[in-house]
Amino acid sequence: MITRSVGPNRRRNDMIWNMVAWVVLLMLALPAFWIIITAFRPNIEINTFPPVWIPRRLTLEAYANMFGLNPDVQQRVAVEAYLRNSLLASGLSTVIAVSLGTLAGYAFARFRFRFHTTLFLGIMLSRAVPGVALSLPLFLLFNRVGLTNNVLGLAFVYVAVNIPFTAWLMDGFFRQIPTELTESAYIDGCGHWSAFWRIELPLSLPGLATAAIFAFLAAWNEFQIVSVLARNNAAKTFPPGLFAFTEQFTVDWRGMAAMSVIMMVPAVIFVILVQRNLVSGLTFGAVKG
Amino acid sequence: MVANSNSPLGKGAAARLVEVSRIEAGFFPFALILPAVILILLVVGFPLLYSLYVSFTPYELLKPNSLNFTVARALRNYQKLLNDDIFWRSLLNTIVFLAVTVNLSYVLSMALSQLLARVTVGQSVLRTLLMVPMMFAPILVGMQFRWFFNANVGLVNNFLISVGLIQEQGQIAWLVDVPLGMITIIIASIWMNIPVMTIILLAGTLSLPTETFEAAEVDGASGWQKFRFITFPLLAPFSYIALTIMSLDIARAFDIVRIMTDGGPARRTEMLWTYITRLAIEDTKFGLGSAMSWITVFLSVLFTLYFFRQLVKARIVR
Amino acid sequence: MLRKLFLTLVMLALVSAFAVSAQDEAQYAGLDMDLSGINIKMANIGGGQYEVMYDAISIFEEATGATVEIVALLDGFSMDQKLKVDFATGAADYDVAWDHTSFVAQYTPFLLPLQDYFSEDELAPFSPAILDAATIDGNLYLIPRHADVSPIHYRKDLYEDEAIAAAYMDATGEALTVPTTLEQIDRQARFFVENGHSTLGYTLAGKEEALTGRFYEMHFASGGSLFDENYEPAFNDEIGVAVAELLASWYADGVIPSDTTSLLWDGVAQYFCNNDVAIKLEWYGWYAYFQDADSCAVAGNFGLARGFTGLSVGGDAVRPSGWAGAHAFSVPATAPNPQAGVQLIKFLSSERVAYEEALLGFLPTRGDVWDRVIADASDAENPLDRERLELARIQVGEDFKTPPLIAEWIPFSNIFYPHLQAIILGDVGAQEGLDAAAAETREMMADAGYY
Repeated sequence: MITRSVGPNRRRNDMIWNMVAWVVLLMLALPAFWIIITAFRPNIEINTFPPVWIPRRLTLEAYANMFGLNPDVQQRVAVEAYLRNSLLASGLSTVIAVSLGTLAGYAFARFRFRFHTTLFLGIMLSRAVPGVALSLPLFLLFNRVGLTNNVLGLAFVYVAVNIPFTAWLMDGFFRQIPTELTESAYIDGCGHWSAFWRIELPLSLPGLATAAIFAFLAAWNEFQIVSVLARNNAAKTFPPGLFAFTEQFTVDWRGMAAMSVIMMVPAVIFVILVQRNLVSGLTFGAVKG
Repeated sequence: MVANSNSPLGKGAAARLVEVSRIEAGFFPFALILPAVILILLVVGFPLLYSLYVSFTPYELLKPNSLNFTVARALRNYQKLLNDDIFWRSLLNTIVFLAVTVNLSYVLSMALSQLLARVTVGQSVLRTLLMVPMMFAPILVGMQFRWFFNANVGLVNNFLISVGLIQEQGQIAWLVDVPLGMITIIIASIWMNIPVMTIILLAGTLSLPTETFEAAEVDGASGWQKFRFITFPLLAPFSYIALTIMSLDIARAFDIVRIMTDGGPARRTEMLWTYITRLAIEDTKFGLGSAMSWITVFLSVLFTLYFFRQLVKARIVR
Repeated sequence: MLRKLFLTLVMLALVSAFAVSAQDEAQYAGLDMDLSGINIKMANIGGGQYEVMYDAISIFEEATGATVEIVALLDGFSMDQKLKVDFATGAADYDVAWDHTSFVAQYTPFLLPLQDYFSEDELAPFSPAILDAATIDGNLYLIPRHADVSPIHYRKDLYEDEAIAAAYMDATGEALTVPTTLEQIDRQARFFVENGHSTLGYTLAGKEEALTGRFYEMHFASGGSLFDENYEPAFNDEIGVAVAELLASWYADGVIPSDTTSLLWDGVAQYFCNNDVAIKLEWYGWYAYFQDADSCAVAGNFGLARGFTGLSVGGDAVRPSGWAGAHAFSVPATAPNPQAGVQLIKFLSSERVAYEEALLGFLPTRGDVWDRVIADASDAENPLDRERLELARIQVGEDFKTPPLIAEWIPFSNIFYPHLQAIILGDVGAQEGLDAAAAETREMMADAGYY
């Protein structure tokens, strides 16, 4: 789209654009670097005045404290419980949400049926309901059936919350597969299901990966619902864990940074893994034809 | 649809957008959708109806007998809210917050996407940098900015003192003063929104047809004119995708507000979400909290519906 | 002569008897019942400081044959939420629950009255003021474990410097002494800040119940009362306005930090720790932290004094401040084994366990434990260790004052503190803000059925 007629002017402009872009994006990413560095600094460097900008020493103290390896520090954080609950709720809900969302997305992309638009819009709008609003009745209802403080109950909620966006993404992906492929499969004697299962699903695997990562991260990062449903460490995930930490130790910035770094690990892995798919997944998957 | 000649993103046919012809298949598609619909009805639909019922009762968690519906008292919670200054204040704050955040996020993402489209050195590194804020949970975004803007040991004040812009005694209370409290929350939200929006707009920009720009160049169009009359209109569907996705996630800003100011001080940054939490969870007034929840549900759905409609319209025009 | 000798002998005998009994081992209690086969469930507050208690539990299990199962370990506020939810939903299936004097009023319909389970002798060692706070409508709902209250903390260097004292004398015409009244604190704090002796004059937590509590404390010390006898809001009286105006002027004049309204306990403690604050009320619990030279610049440079008396606008009614509370144990009404739960409470609040916990720095709620820890501290390296305990004993015994024991304390606080914040920040005037808070409070109390 940007034509590059070669000339000294053009080249100088290019250089300026490049420099500006680098400066802007480094500034955008700066906070993350700061958090990571803080997690590994001695406390005295963090709260001191005048500020120490460049770390003089790096240490694993924050993690030793967090995992209870430091006998002098009694502040113990249930990181293991948060990790277990987060992995369980996010993993389980992702598998189910992506399965069901893919089926729905396929139906919307491939077939003509009554209430097509209404159903699609209805499913999408269910996602627009704020977590705060949903958390109150869910709490009351789950209380009756003993699902509060329960990771499985939480995963159940996350499945429903994650279906709409998965369906949207997958709808877009299936749309890119030419209908002729399906039709020729029918001619070869495939039923609807086996055409989907044997031909179209394998073609949509990159889309599936993108959808799975979005679902996983949405569950991993969710705060509003879990903070109401989970009242103790049996079901608390990282976000309410971090929140409780900030409420309890309001000035232990290093402890918060250390916990944040742990919490960011899966996000970092996933974002790097699917960088390319993410871009195409978000745009082409999202444009409805 | 959006024409696509040289998208570097999905080299080859897979990236082409085609208008699909859909197949008739009787009940099969319903069978595919049914599990999803059932789950959504169970976890979203039914609870919302239940909360509508609760919103018509004076229910308080610690008074189990208060969960009963009487016609005379049915609208009391809603009346209370309409007469509640704090409710109106939180509604106003929420609207201001949404308007500023959505517009600024969009403008900044658009600028950033145009900038990135011109980059020739280190594209993939820059794209990874762009995705850094995506690695942060909203609650983390809030924690991080609460620390940066802390008056006593915060990065921002430390920096301003280091470069001599303010004195040690004159530390700026970022999270307290008006309108700095709102501004810091908005900065945090924009930082969180930028990556996804920019990615979508960048992908859109890169997929635009080169020929149009070449023709414009021959006609002597300036850079701004090319953007204003070619890029911007052609990007409309992508803009609406970005805005729709953002509208779905906008309530996540609650996490940021909750951890940064929790609506305070003195309700200066109170928003609908924080006020619901205060009413329902802290004061255990589930009836009143549910009434307010319903108002936010209504607003959120309206918001998403608006962008979704624009998205559909933009597609039809193409 | 003979009479005098006799009296001396009696005195000596008494003193030695006292000394001997003080040397005696502190005793456990509650081990005298066979509870074989009973599984006692307990929901409790968590945290490393409570390890001693869990070590002791095995002794209880061995002696009685019961097993003790900890079903929840949470911080205080999460515990409060859990208890509310469990009580409301009938899910409190444990025999012992953590409790607190500031929270207990919300739970009373769901708790077992304990007065019939304890003899007078068993209750005698506990501080009467705390037992008062544990008694609602004639029923004893909790057995205290340890208490907390706030003395004045002040920076010694400011009061030992003759040049500062002379300048203060010149400026105000009074000698610079450790303050005993709120007005003295006001004058001194301003003086220290205006003349650059201290970055800040005073600090206080500025949000949530922490702010409400500190206001309540100043208001109370000035002779006021948040509610009148009919539970009508009374905090918007002349005294309340004076206190609120004092706080607002402190904020406007930079006596307290610019981010006061964002601060909770750790935040205000941090300021004092950094040697930035001249005077403040602070909980005894922070003592070990402030004395740790590795983390606090103020270590070794502070002294303690009894809480201030309030503003003179209260006239003869002014009294020492003493916002206080006690951690405690309760038995839920739905407990499956209430008697066994009571036995466990007797054990956990016994002289021996309480003493071992007091050695960690907690303020005891039992007189016998006070005697022991003060005797222990008499040969401490730092004389402040002993002064602190003696002062704390006076405050717990005489000044201990809980907030109103009503279930609406937290809902009231949630209404009140944003209004007070608005006054402090200068958004509204003191009278106007307190009147608005009073109107809202009245509506809430009316809804709750008070009038």
